[in-house]
Amino acid sequence: MAKEFNVPPVVFPSSTGGNTSTIGPNQTGTHQRRIPTFTPPFQPSNPNPTQHLPFMSFDVGSATASSSFSAPVFSTGNGYSTGMGGGPGSFEDELPLLEELGINTRQIWRKMRSILNPLKVNPNLHADADLSGPFLFLMAFGLFQLLAGKLHFGIILGWVVVAALFLYVVFNMLAGRDGNLDLYRCVSLVGYCMLPIVIFSALALFVPQGGVAVFILGAIFVIWATRVCTRLVVELASCGDEHRGLIAYACFLIYTLFSLLVIF
Amino acid sequence: MRIPSSNPQAQQSFANPFNGAGSGIIRSGLGAYGERFLGSSSEFMQSNVSKYFSDPQYYFQVNDHYVWNKLKVVLFPFLHRGHWTRIAEPVGGSLAYKPPIHDINAPDLYIPLMAFGSYVVITGFSLGLFGKFSPEALSLQFTKGLAGWLMQIILLKGFLYSLGRESPLLDIVSYAGYAFTGMSIAVMAKIFWSYSYYFIMPWVCLCTGVFLVKTMRRVLFSGPRSYEHASRCHYLLLFIAAAQFPLFFWLCNMSNT
Repeated sequence: MAKEFNVPPVVFPSSTGGNTSTIGPNQTGTHQRRIPTFTPPFQPSNPNPTQHLPFMSFDVGSATASSSFSAPVFSTGNGYSTGMGGGPGSFEDELPLLEELGINTRQIWRKMRSILNPLKVNPNLHADADLSGPFLFLMAFGLFQLLAGKLHFGIILGWVVVAALFLYVVFNMLAGRDGNLDLYRCVSLVGYCMLPIVIFSALALFVPQGGVAVFILGAIFVIWATRVCTRLVVELASCGDEHRGLIAYACFLIYTLFSLLVIF
Repeated sequence: MRIPSSNPQAQQSFANPFNGAGSGIIRSGLGAYGERFLGSSSEFMQSNVSKYFSDPQYYFQVNDHYVWNKLKVVLFPFLHRGHWTRIAEPVGGSLAYKPPIHDINAPDLYIPLMAFGSYVVITGFSLGLFGKFSPEALSLQFTKGLAGWLMQIILLKGFLYSLGRESPLLDIVSYAGYAFTGMSIAVMAKIFWSYSYYFIMPWVCLCTGVFLVKTMRRVLFSGPRSYEHASRCHYLLLFIAAAQFPLFFWLCNMSNT
């Protein structure tokens, strides 16, 4: 039995058909909430009236009562909770959250597609580094390993960090004074080029373990990953050209290490 | 529960400023660490590492040609026709050795690092083929390899110290690390044919021993010559060559791990 609260019923002045809906204290109200016709029950006192805070600037009344929830689009998610007296509004907060975190899913998808082509590499896409794509790939890698019965999430994350540090040290030492590969971009590149290994771990679920096929597949995917990683590193950081073979060997070691996790 | 169908147009117009703001927040949130580690990486390496070691940049001035020839020297030291002395050139009043690009006898750190990495990966492979692979076992191999490297460094450093010669620490680290090339070759041969272990292993130990002896002799005699401890020097050199055998057997033996 729901607990009774002594809360006066909230009356929403409604413009649809003239019927007012009163939401009593026991109703959840999420389904009955008519966002487009809602006006906030109070205006929070603005301590600094000259400063126009952006979060109350949305015009709720102009939004159409359609099924799309694009109406309550606002610049920060904070203003919503102070304005509404209703529920927590979880799915209204979801829309700007990804963008606030800087996870640009379209960019991740574009970068992923560029890695999928082993022969042609587009380095301009990877010029701005991000860590959310690699994180996604590593979680997928861990998931496929889990499906194979191995719990490797922490190991994968730790090994990626160590491998990126290794590549960072080797590249900057080889390139000399002009080397400008920073650690953030290095982790991003190593993580993105992990995609072939993730695909390999998915395919290895269907191939008999210990057979020759696993090793051959592994070799193909490791060489693919090495190729892409070397090309990206050499083209994105300066002074990498004359050390291409040396960097390629370092990348090869890194991806062979991860393929060991998949094969054995 | 109504699932909001996102309006792509509204999302598009807000995508770019959010993207910039989000990453800006994350970047500025890292604060001081962000500047240090995400900023100019090469300068960070130069300034901080050179305080403790003797300019590690020198040891990474390599190219493909050097690496290939140096590997040949390390693995087949008796085929090396030329001399073993390092070329010195006068730089700013004192003598400095030429970087590895110009001098095949100069030590470098790229090959030892890569050889160590290859050793770890290849032993991981052979552990897997025996059915004993696990990430913990690989970490154990890594630590074992590091311990072996350290023992080799102590051996060489002790040798030089007992004969009164000084040498930069990174030089010794580099000479000690060349042993891993032989080890990687031996373990790889063992993977393909298990009986090859019995003749490739002594061969590789011998080659590394000869390489180290010749290099240490050059390091000893690079300074002012003194013939007082000649016999002690020769016994110690022999000891270095002989000590390679137990070290290699300890590091490459997979069956008891």
